[in-house]
Amino acid sequence: MSEPTLYELSATGRKAVSLPECDVKLATIPEHLIRADNGLPELTEQQIVRHYLRLSQRNFGVDCGFYPLGSCTMKHNPKTSEQTARLPGFAQIHPFQDEAIVQGALQLMFELQEQLKEIGGFEAVSLQPTAGAQGELTALLMIRAYHAARGEGHRNEILIPDSAHGTNPASATMAGYIAVEVPSDGRGNVDLDAVRAACSGRLAGIMLTNPNTLGLFEERVEELVGLVRESGGVVYGDGANMNALTAIARPGDLGIDLMHFNLHKTFATPHGGGGPGSGPLGASSQLAPYLPSPIVERLPEDKKGSVEYTLTCPSHSIGRMSSFHGSFGMFVRAYSYLRRLGAPGLRAAAIDAVLNSNYLRVRLRDDYPVPFDRTCMHEFVCEGQPKGSEVRAIDVSKRLMDFGFHPPTNYFPLTVREALMIEPTENECKATLDAFVEAMRAIAKEAREEPGRLREAPSATPVRRLDEVRAARELTVCEPTLRT
Amino acid sequence: MLIGFLINPIAGMGGRVGLKGTDGVVEEAILRGAQPVSEGKARQALRQLRHALEAGARSSDIRWLTCSGAMGEGALRATGFEDIAVVHEAVETPTAEDTRRATAAFVNAGVDLIVFCGGDGTARDIAQIAGDQVPIVGIPSGVKMYSGVYGVSAERTGEIIAQFVAGGLDCPIVDILDLDEERYRKGEWAVRLVDSARTPYQPTCTQSSKALITEHADEAFKADIAEYLDEEIRSHRTTLFVLGPGSTVKAIAERLGIVKTLLGIDALLEGAAAGADLNENALLKLLDIYPVAQLILSPIGAQGFVLGRGNLQLSPAVVRQIGIDHLTVVATPAKLKRTPVLRFDTGDLELDARLADRRFLPVITGYRRRRLVPIST
Repeated sequence: MSEPTLYELSATGRKAVSLPECDVKLATIPEHLIRADNGLPELTEQQIVRHYLRLSQRNFGVDCGFYPLGSCTMKHNPKTSEQTARLPGFAQIHPFQDEAIVQGALQLMFELQEQLKEIGGFEAVSLQPTAGAQGELTALLMIRAYHAARGEGHRNEILIPDSAHGTNPASATMAGYIAVEVPSDGRGNVDLDAVRAACSGRLAGIMLTNPNTLGLFEERVEELVGLVRESGGVVYGDGANMNALTAIARPGDLGIDLMHFNLHKTFATPHGGGGPGSGPLGASSQLAPYLPSPIVERLPEDKKGSVEYTLTCPSHSIGRMSSFHGSFGMFVRAYSYLRRLGAPGLRAAAIDAVLNSNYLRVRLRDDYPVPFDRTCMHEFVCEGQPKGSEVRAIDVSKRLMDFGFHPPTNYFPLTVREALMIEPTENECKATLDAFVEAMRAIAKEAREEPGRLREAPSATPVRRLDEVRAARELTVCEPTLRT
Repeated sequence: MLIGFLINPIAGMGGRVGLKGTDGVVEEAILRGAQPVSEGKARQALRQLRHALEAGARSSDIRWLTCSGAMGEGALRATGFEDIAVVHEAVETPTAEDTRRATAAFVNAGVDLIVFCGGDGTARDIAQIAGDQVPIVGIPSGVKMYSGVYGVSAERTGEIIAQFVAGGLDCPIVDILDLDEERYRKGEWAVRLVDSARTPYQPTCTQSSKALITEHADEAFKADIAEYLDEEIRSHRTTLFVLGPGSTVKAIAERLGIVKTLLGIDALLEGAAAGADLNENALLKLLDIYPVAQLILSPIGAQGFVLGRGNLQLSPAVVRQIGIDHLTVVATPAKLKRTPVLRFDTGDLELDARLADRRFLPVITGYRRRRLVPIST
């Protein structure tokens, strides 16, 4: 059943609140600015409450069900992190306050920088970028500045594997680079021969996601990094898939010069409707001077032994990427998460994420072929056309909603036909994973025996299958007719 | 094993002189200075066949049925084959009717395979008589070769024949495609499925049929490619840009406000037209005047040929003059998706090897976007 809009519920004369008599002199409003009908719906308070409560009940998030959306790391958002972020000392400060009276907030930012440096193996971290893709752009602008400073501003090509997130080529183009797509080899790795062919004096760098979007660890990552570095390029790592590596492998140790973290993926801060995102950027010693400002620094202890924190600007900084300090609320949540887990907890989380993903891969592969079927990391990609059927990945995804599961990522990466990208995260227990497997197997059986049910799915949701193409092409949203 | 062998001696002659085929215009091609090409291609294939057969010591297994002189016998004898019977007497300027008569003689004699040297017109004439019964294989020598019966080069066709003789190849039914040459010369695409035939299929040596890529977003990507190349062309004012055939390249010219022949080779200088529908000689003359040049081409969908199919005006001499490092390849992502490898078959083995030596070629797929595509070696 679809929920009517507020305009459809509106009736003349209804009121939600009665305002008290105005006790100040009325302003004179020019005649031509006064409207008889201001176009707002008229409703009672109870109608409004029910309307929004009903809408909220139709929401689907990690708090109400399994959400295996590959490459998004939809892990649990711990409620203690939420409580910490709501502490008045964090929630009610203002960025214009003097540094001297927000030392606690600066200390938190400093310690978060230090933790991310340790996790990534980097020389320095800037918390500026407010999203993963902004982290990418920041890194590319730093690469530009780095080459320009060395008199090599002519380097204009960025290598991007064909399995990369779509934001990678977009960021490269925005930064004024030519995006050069590199094919994958038969094992799902970046084709090193292609990289070798592309290494030249025009190479500015590579954007590398490891594990890649197939959920596979680059088997020859050190050789790959070596090739790019030898020809003078910078290696940027897309940290979207960091959840497989925390406290196990450090990108900096693998030779990655720059990498953004997604606090809203790896470090359990909310995303989707809960946002905002946060994409702090780590840098090696060569690139650190170009990080965006400000960066929090701890000043040496004074004579009384007290410590002071201050905002600084790196020597060759590319400048700011966002206003003020970045997504501060997310720093608090991520900091809270990191402090509670510590290194052993982070390592356990990564191991469980990888274990859960491999468990699903092996239990599903008889029905859903896995094109690169080797031990995966935190996610895997299978073909969404069950063996022996002719349905499409979109049909399987829509049918999953009837079983109460959020669909996996569809049709990405583009290198796998009818791709379904499944990332269970470390939080899910075996019972949930088994229930998901049973649903997927039941759907595969339906796909072979009564494919019509899949093509008509979903049937148990408030609205049936939506015309997604039309939604993208007809951008006109009609204002509903006001009930009179 | 009994093999029917025929050469279409005029096949491919229209290519270098800027005609889009040779059917019905052989006189004009000769007037324009066209030289026969198919005899040379046939000999390349037959030499490779001999080589492969000698390695397996089976050359005595083949009995040839063929046509006299330039239609087959000459090439067979020149490459050392001896067990030859002539079943059709060639005339000086053979027509499609000669091809059909020779094919009928092959079929009546019960041949196991028909090998021909020509293009899509020749394939169509043979398939019409041979039907789905006798497998056919083509040594690529026409102006266009969209059908699925050719080897990827003359030499590889020799290998296909050798493997067929050794009994190791299946013969699936494939499409015979052809363009309406009249409409083609006027700049219209009119690829038609005209017939089907069996062909010995060797995965690395047989070329696939051309696929016409018409995905929805293609036009948007063509516009992106055009916008990018527009900037490149305008920023290199002293470079002569030589534009190959096809709609992706045509979109670049249109963006620059220039009317481009869809299927011819045109040239641009300083953003303005410097020559249209150029043949080999005209191109070489232009390159003498403007030695700094860049060649912009799009591969044939699915088959992957960048040079050697549909653009024979770009002869080995022209390509050498421009320089192999001055080759810009453009293609939409949808086209590349169905074109896993790029191929060069200029007929000049040394040049083809140099072009393939780079192993990957960056293909422009959008505005400031490229994809590295492997080159078949």
